[in-house]
Amino acid sequence: MKLSSALLPLLAAPFVAAEHTSNWAVLVGTSRFWFNYRHLANVLSLYRTVKRLGIPDSQIILMLPDDMACNPRNAFPGAVFNNADRALDLYGDNIEVDYRGYEVTVENFIRLMTDRWGEDTPRSKRLMTDERSNILVYMTGHGGNEFLKFQDAEEISAFDLADAFGQMWEKKRYHEMLFMIDTCQANTMYSKFYSPNILATGSSEIDQSSYSHHADQDVGVAVIDRYTYYNLEFLETQVRDPTSKLTMGDLFDSYDEAKIHSHPGIRYDLFEGGEQAARSKLIMDFFGNVQNIEVEGEKRNETQWRQELEAIERMINEAKRRHNESLSVHPQAQHVVEEAKPAQSLRRQGAAMVQEEQGWSKQIVGAAALVGCAVAWAAGSWLES
Amino acid sequence: MASPNAADASSAPEPSKETSIIVPRAAKAHNGPPPESKEGIWLRRAAILSFWAVVVLLGLPVWWKTTAIYRAELPLQDMTDWAESKICKPVFPLRIAVESSISSHDAQQLVRLTQHAIDDLNEFSAHHLRLMPATSPYTANSSQEVIIDGTSIRSDDRDNALVIRMIQVETGETPRSQLQSYSPTLDVYYSASQLPAQSSTSSPLASFIAQELHTVFAEEQAQLAYLLAAQPGAQAARTKALSVEKYVELDRQSTKVLKYAPTYHLTFSLFSPSYTPSAWNIEAALRTYLSPLLESFSGISNFTVDSQVQLYATFSPSIHQPEFDEHLKAWTLRKEDLSAFVNAAEWPLSPSIGEGPTVNFILYVPDASQSPLLVKENAGNSWLIPQWGGVHILNVQNVSTTPNVLTAEDLVPAMHTFSDQLTVLFGLPQAPASLPLRISTLERVRAASLIFSASSTLGALAQVYQKMPSIPVPDNVAQSVDSTIAHLQQACHLLREGRFQGALEHARIAEVEAEKAFFERSMVGQVYFPDEHKVAVYLPLLGPVAVPLVMAALKELKGVLASARGR
Repeated sequence: MKLSSALLPLLAAPFVAAEHTSNWAVLVGTSRFWFNYRHLANVLSLYRTVKRLGIPDSQIILMLPDDMACNPRNAFPGAVFNNADRALDLYGDNIEVDYRGYEVTVENFIRLMTDRWGEDTPRSKRLMTDERSNILVYMTGHGGNEFLKFQDAEEISAFDLADAFGQMWEKKRYHEMLFMIDTCQANTMYSKFYSPNILATGSSEIDQSSYSHHADQDVGVAVIDRYTYYNLEFLETQVRDPTSKLTMGDLFDSYDEAKIHSHPGIRYDLFEGGEQAARSKLIMDFFGNVQNIEVEGEKRNETQWRQELEAIERMINEAKRRHNESLSVHPQAQHVVEEAKPAQSLRRQGAAMVQEEQGWSKQIVGAAALVGCAVAWAAGSWLES
Repeated sequence: MASPNAADASSAPEPSKETSIIVPRAAKAHNGPPPESKEGIWLRRAAILSFWAVVVLLGLPVWWKTTAIYRAELPLQDMTDWAESKICKPVFPLRIAVESSISSHDAQQLVRLTQHAIDDLNEFSAHHLRLMPATSPYTANSSQEVIIDGTSIRSDDRDNALVIRMIQVETGETPRSQLQSYSPTLDVYYSASQLPAQSSTSSPLASFIAQELHTVFAEEQAQLAYLLAAQPGAQAARTKALSVEKYVELDRQSTKVLKYAPTYHLTFSLFSPSYTPSAWNIEAALRTYLSPLLESFSGISNFTVDSQVQLYATFSPSIHQPEFDEHLKAWTLRKEDLSAFVNAAEWPLSPSIGEGPTVNFILYVPDASQSPLLVKENAGNSWLIPQWGGVHILNVQNVSTTPNVLTAEDLVPAMHTFSDQLTVLFGLPQAPASLPLRISTLERVRAASLIFSASSTLGALAQVYQKMPSIPVPDNVAQSVDSTIAHLQQACHLLREGRFQGALEHARIAEVEAEKAFFERSMVGQVYFPDEHKVAVYLPLLGPVAVPLVMAALKELKGVLASARGR
């Protein structure tokens, strides 16, 4: 006993960090328009893979800025392919896009990661993770040194991304995170990260482009990027079912610069335990859905269960009766609650007032500016005369 | 070169004479410009000064005002202190009333001795039991009271964690004890001779009671110790009450328990691979078998319930199809395939119903051709999916045909499984045997964990506030933080007083407020501008304006300095 209590502090830490209980995937394409077909195909391929390996749709956040399947230029309406052999329709008949079209913005992405939404946002569009969740973040689009363009209209910087992940870590919104990005100069995007337990990988170094793999003559454009293609090739051919024991190290070792035509980067230093721990993580820890199923053996006695239910019911009825009695005896208690509520709503009004005041101060500033201009003009004309 | 003349001529009627006098001199110094009039110089200076005045007095404040990020004041030090649990050290003083028919003097003596014995046994300082004689002495005939059903809870014992009833008996082994299953009551049977004498300093009866109490509250102590051990600043001494094995077990348990939410949504789904059964009498079954349980949890969380029936539900293609086992005479599923049993891609188990997280309970009725369907490893038919819900395979007895409608009676085994799974998911401890005691244990554990989680959210907010100066912080965040701290203080205070229900209430509010403060939707640090970006934005705009302004001011200053030196 003495020994065990002495050991406890040593043992405690690994136990706490050992396990995750849910897997989430955030898959983001950031470019619009037909000639960026391959970026949407990238995202959909990843979507299909994580779904195949068991992450349910409710835990996949899919951001697609454009709808290639319904694009008028698409020679195969309703279908998206990631290979010229067109063996696999990525669109299929069951795909749940959480953010589409103009909803894919930098603001929405950061809101998603930090979960800062209005109250009316449906839960299916939110990242409801906790300190036991592993998250896969995959991004693809057009980017440059320390930025990634969203829809040709705005960009997210490596700093914003790092800050968003930093806030997630502070609020314990992830256990471990795998960040993958396929874009030009991708490795600069994760260079600013500072939060622990992030394993990051990107397709190309600074000043290096990331290339597409091949084009489909009938579709008319490139259908997939090289880095994503070889990642998928590994996942499809090696990780065949959710019981796979392959590690992240195996995946990283499969990267062949001659095939990818750029230098994929991997960042291990944020991960607890460094390179070795990160490489020994299972691929299924990020791409699959871990469920430590508990099969129930012998059960409690059924008659006992029924008795218990009856007893609870009696207890509740008793409690209700007492509650009703106490209501009639102490009406004051009720009154106190009622009094407390208006106080709260009053305070709310206060908040609104402050905003109003802000509006006023803005108006005053505006008025002052106008008056200033008028004074300047008057002074000028006075000086002139 | 005529311009000075013209200007002077227009500005004053007389200077024509003056100029005519000056002309010869001007002609002499033909290379330099004609000297300015004093008036002209002052006019120019006034013009420059007025431009600068507008820029400095109007432009700068407007720019400052419009680009400043509003950040409400937050009590950062307090927030950090809460997060490091410097302010509140939760303690759990449990009051235990002792009801007995003996004289109050004897009772007090017994209580005093038992208290000593308990204090000696207790290894976990934050959780201690305080015995006190019951206010209304227990006078009824004890031998008859044994068969009491235990539902008669007196209204004044709300704050008592447990009532010990001392029952004097003549026969049977003494002392012995029995924990009532449905009320927080421990019956202790003793014989008259076992009462401690007035002068004695120890008594077998007292130490027996102490040992019993220690056993009853062992699970609760372990859970609380586990919770405290995970907090920052927890001393090693605090965790003495917890063995490593117990720690590992609790840690494993904690991975199953749902994250706390004020409201949970329970979805009961019937899946069938064929067209039958197409209906189930779920409403009656739920009312009979589940709602009592839900009601008893209502002090901790609220529940909403819905149900659905899905026909032609197929397995996902990635799992091994069930195989027929000759030995079991049943179709079997491998254990490693169970995690993929729920076809997440196809089965509509949407999380978006209601406001709280969804807990799924799935009843799967296999096709008649694949019935009975069991788990290969233990021939069981149900399993728990941590933090998600439970699955029960209902093998209909009559194999040849699957009934069209499942009656409430058919659903009994499933309801039994589901209620067991719900208690595990909800974190209800497995011991002791008394259900009200387990629920009140859960209340205490939840109150403590909510206090910790609200505190840690405050700490996270303080960190974010300090590390990211570019995100705006509106006033309502400050209000929420204040309210969180106030409720945390209340909760902590009530814990110390042993009023756990109230503490839980305040802890719940604190948690909600803290979450609201952290997840305030306007606090989005969206656009980080590196300095070069700022230059790129401001230079094209302000450069053309600033250059003439600065140059004019410099030139004028030079002129002033030169003339001052010349004088």
